[in-house]
Parts: sequence; C-alpha cells; structure tokens
Amino acid sequence: MKLSISKRLAAMFAVASFVMLAVLSVAMHGLLKRELERHQSNELQARWTMYKPIIMRNDDVEHWEYVRTKFDNSISENNRVSLWVQSNDSRFLYGSSLTDEQRHMIGTRGFGQAMLPGHDAPLKTYSAEVEARGERPAVLLTVGIDSKPFVETLRAFTVGLIALTVVGALGAAGLGYYIARVGMRPLDRLSGEARGLSPGHLSRRLQTDTLAPELSELADSFNGALSRLETAYQQLEAFNADVAHELRTPLGNLIGQTQVTLSRERSVTELKEALHSNLEDLERLRAIVNDMLFLARADRGERAPNRVEVSIAQEVSHAVEYLEFIFEEAGVKVRIEGDAQASIETSLFRRAVTNLLQNAVQHAPRGAEIVVFVLQQPGAIRVSVQNTGSGIAREHLSRLFDRFYRVDSSRSGSRENHGLGLAIVRAVATMHGGTVFAESESGATTIGFTVAA
Amino acid sequence: MKVLIVEDEPKTADYLERGLREQGYVVDVARDGLDGKHMALEYEYDVIVLDVMLPGTDGFSVLHALRERRQTPVIMLTARDRVDDRVRGLREGADDYLVKPFSFLELVARLQALTRRSRGQEAMQLRIADLQIDLLARKAWRNGQRLDLTAKEFALLAALARRKGEILSKTTIAELVWDVNFDSDTNVVEVAVKRLRSKLDDPFKPTLLHTVRGMGYVLEVRDEQSEDA
Repeated sequence: MKLSISKRLAAMFAVASFVMLAVLSVAMHGLLKRELERHQSNELQARWTMYKPIIMRNDDVEHWEYVRTKFDNSISENNRVSLWVQSNDSRFLYGSSLTDEQRHMIGTRGFGQAMLPGHDAPLKTYSAEVEARGERPAVLLTVGIDSKPFVETLRAFTVGLIALTVVGALGAAGLGYYIARVGMRPLDRLSGEARGLSPGHLSRRLQTDTLAPELSELADSFNGALSRLETAYQQLEAFNADVAHELRTPLGNLIGQTQVTLSRERSVTELKEALHSNLEDLERLRAIVNDMLFLARADRGERAPNRVEVSIAQEVSHAVEYLEFIFEEAGVKVRIEGDAQASIETSLFRRAVTNLLQNAVQHAPRGAEIVVFVLQQPGAIRVSVQNTGSGIAREHLSRLFDRFYRVDSSRSGSRENHGLGLAIVRAVATMHGGTVFAESESGATTIGFTVAA
Repeated sequence: MKVLIVEDEPKTADYLERGLREQGYVVDVARDGLDGKHMALEYEYDVIVLDVMLPGTDGFSVLHALRERRQTPVIMLTARDRVDDRVRGLREGADDYLVKPFSFLELVARLQALTRRSRGQEAMQLRIADLQIDLLARKAWRNGQRLDLTAKEFALLAALARRKGEILSKTTIAELVWDVNFDSDTNVVEVAVKRLRSKLDDPFKPTLLHTVRGMGYVLEVRDEQSEDA
C-alpha cells in the first residue's frame, strides 16, 4: 500500500516528536530523581544534626529515659521519621528491634535504606556515631525517613511525562498532516494543470512564476520535456505532410494515366508506353519510400553498425570516381585535400559524399573547381565540399538539410532530385555521431558534415 | 532452375510467380510459414525466396529449421527496414536480403548471383552478333574493329554482356561497375550508357544496347521493328 506524502510526513513528524519528547522526558526524570535524592539526604543530615545534641546533653542512665521520651514525642509528632540508637551497652538503646539484614542495609556510617514491615516505600537512613561521654559509651544514631512521598512524586511525574510524550507525538502527527496538506496545495494545482494538457494544445505550458522554487524547477523540467515533445510532434506532422505531398504527384499521375489509358481500346505499343511511364513514377515512389525509411532509421537514433577504419580521402575518391562522368559532362574538376583515418560505414559515407558532390556539381558553373576538404579536428573529422557559383542566401542555409527542402522551388518537379539528398547527408552524419554545416560567402559555398573520430 | 517462394501477400506472390516463370524458373509458392517450412524441407530447390513476416510461423523460424538440414540458398524479403532483421537474417544463414519495396529486376539479379556462384568458371570470351569481348585482356571489337573504351565503359559493357538479354536496373549496374550499393539521385548510369552507346552502337548496325524505360538497360540483338522508344 502506498501512503500519501501528507500521511507519510505526518507519520515522520509523529516519530520525530516522539523521539524528542521521550529523550527529554528521560532526562527530566533523571534530573528530578537526583534532586529528590539530594533533598532526602539533606533532610536526613539536618534531622541527625537536630537529634544529636539530645544524646550529647544526656550522659547517664537516669537521663537516658529523658532521651527516649524526647524521641518518642518527636516520632509521634512526625510519623515519617524513625530513630534508632545502637550501642554495646544495653542501657543506652532506642528504637524498634532490627533484623540482621536490616541492620546490614542501614550500615554503620552514612546513608542507607531498609524495608520496614507495613511500608510500601523503603526507609532512607543516615547513621553516624555520637562520641562517648560520662557514663554513656559511643553510640550509633540512625535517622530514617519514609521515602514514600518522594517515590509518589516521582511516579506521578513519570506518568505525566509519558502522557505528555504520547499526546505530543499525536499532536505533532495531526499538525504535521495539516501542514503537509497546506504545503502540497501548489502541487495539487500543478497536477490539475498538467491534467489539462492535451495534444490539441501543444504550446500550453505549466505556469511557473507563482510556484515555490522547489516546484518551479520540476515544472521547468516538465515544460522542457513538453517543448521537446512539441518539436518532435511538429516534425512528425511536417514529415507526414511532406511525404503525403511528395507522394501525391506521382500517385496522381499513375491513377490519371492508367484511367486515361483504360478508357478506350489501345494498341499494344500504347499500353506498353503507359506501363513504362507508370513504372517510372513507381520507381520514383520506391526511391522516396526507401529514403524515408533510411531517414527514419537515423531519426530513431540508430548508429552505423558496420564500421571499419579507413582512409577518408580514399573513400571520397571512390565517390568522386563514381561521379566522374557527371563532372566531365558538367565541365568541372574535383580536387581532394587532406586526409584522416576514421571508423565509418563505407557505403553510408560514400552515399553522403556522393550526395554532397552531386549537389555541388548542380550549382557549379562550367570550368569551376570543386574541392573536397578532409580535416582532422579534435574529436571529429570534418568533410566539406566547396564549390564556386552563385552562392546560397542566408535564409536557406539553415534549412538546406531539411527533408524535401529546395532552394530553387522551380526545381521541385525534377525527376532526378527528390529533395532528400542533403537530408540523407545529415542522417549519415548523425549515424556517425557527427553534425552537418553549410556556409556561403562571396560566391563560394561550403557544405559538409563531420563524423566522430 | 527451381525456386520456392514463401510469401503470404497474394499480389506479391502472384507477380513473383509469374515473373520468375517467364524468366525460365520453375516456381512453387507457399502461402504461409508452415507450408513454406514443409516444402523447403521436403523438396529440392535451387533457391528460396523467403518473406520475414508470415502467418503461421515467421521467416526466421523457417530459415532456422531449413539450416538445420539443408544449405539451399535463401533470399529474405523484409518489409521492415530494420538492421536487426537484416543482421539476424544473415546471421541465421540467409544468403541475401531485399527490403520491400524492392524492384523485380533487383530480385532477379540477386537470384542469378546466388545461383551463379555454384556454376563455376565462366567464359573469358563473349560474343553478341558482331560484338566480341575479351574479358581477360579487357578489349572489345565490333565488326573486327577495336573499340576505344575507358575502364568504366568497358566494365559497363562487360556487365551487360555477361547478362546478355537480361534487363539490368540502374542500381544493379551501379553496383556491378562502381561497387556502389545505395540509391542516389545521380544520373551517372545514364551518362555512362550514353557514352558507351556513342562508341558501341552509333557507328555500327544493328543496335545492341537498348533502354527499357523505367527498368534499365539490356544488351541483345533485336528486330528493329519491336525496338522500344
């Protein structure tokens, strides 16, 4: 069973105050007991000092009777007090007879105690010798007082302390619960607000300005997560829209063309022509779908699985070799500068470089030179393709790597370019723990990517 | 050449069966994993085309059961472009894989590559009409006249000539000539074909290198009338 935070806090408050009160009570109990004992001892010594002169003043057998009477009166005046006089001379004795055990408990000097029949509390005693004088030998005078009032005081006090501890702990629990509930109120409000969030209101955030610092941190992290979700959601929506848009044209062509072809009798040549045309559109659809699937792999955070340690310049030169005919047709030269060793998946890497080169050759004027720079940087290897040409406006640079983004929107109908080339470069970079970049300055455009070293 | 197709999607299974039959294969079709497993184990095939997602029992378990007893070459078809599926397929003994959507030509090329492996040495001299190719010396002649080809142009010609009469897709050509195994936006193959044509066909008759729109290229002797546009 899970306890609510308020109940848990209340329980913790209760335990804490119980422990505190208990410790305090034990300490106070100890203190009181010591004080009471000191008080008893003082009383005993005071009484002994009071009774001693009576013995001192009377030093023969005739006067001993006077001592007895005096003691009897004293005891009957204050029945808490008991007196004993012990001596070797049987003429000088006082007090009830004592058992050996009691005698032992009382002792011969200082404080002691003994249980007397008919008392529930022990008798506290103080004994000391009164020196011999005249006929009277040295005698042992013992003063005893009944400790019952002290014991009762202590007991009452103890009961009071226990009650105080228990009641205090219960009170702390109740109060703690109430305080926790009050303290939790902002949390309740926050959770109510969070419940109100829905996919329909993606831009809504939790309000943090009125929250306590502890909670606003939580709300901030939560809002951060919401922002990331919103971005992902929007990307997904844009992605779906893009896909739908890109697939719509070839699908429309396919349906229309097929309907037109089937609407009347056609010769075999005409039918073949229609099928070939369909096939071209279908191939285009397949290429788009395959590329989208590839991009989705990178989006899911997949890493390039089959890496090998190779020379980057050599891999670039493979891609250059592949596009050799294209460069010759376009009348451009390609140069590779620099080299580095890196662990990459070669087919992915070549694909990225091919796309970059393909992009560069489309924008380079006849007779231009495309340069591929391979640069070893701390922690990464930077591959960039630089071409001279008309350059790319700043507002396009950051979006170059977006799916289906075309700088020249009139190019969108082109068969060869379905607008995923640079998005694939970015996916390849991501799969190698790298990033992409694009710069365009004074007629020279540099587009490239990095791979983790 | 006998092929088993294990595929539950009826349209896919039908066109594969028809297409491969027309390519000269003897074709059996299994419509679910259990049938597929049974047929693959009971009968002799030269190659098996195996879909991963199957009702009954999936492609991996069919492959697993097969590999315990036989080494028949297997091409896996996967609709999920997932590395795990591909890696798993290859690890469990598949010889090749294709990701749906794939092109039929691609499948034919892979099937031939798989069955060719066991066929052994091929001829070093090829001849198509008046075209003569020496694969070892990397030289070609037409009508007794030496053709002046660059290395890549010769590689392209050799690739097409080795598969005389077969339509090669651009992807297959890129793979055979440039060792490039990815789709790209480039028209490299078209440019290369154009160049080869200017040396191979423009000065001579009959035309040998033909374009099949939407599919690829083929090297063969054709009646001029049935020539495609």
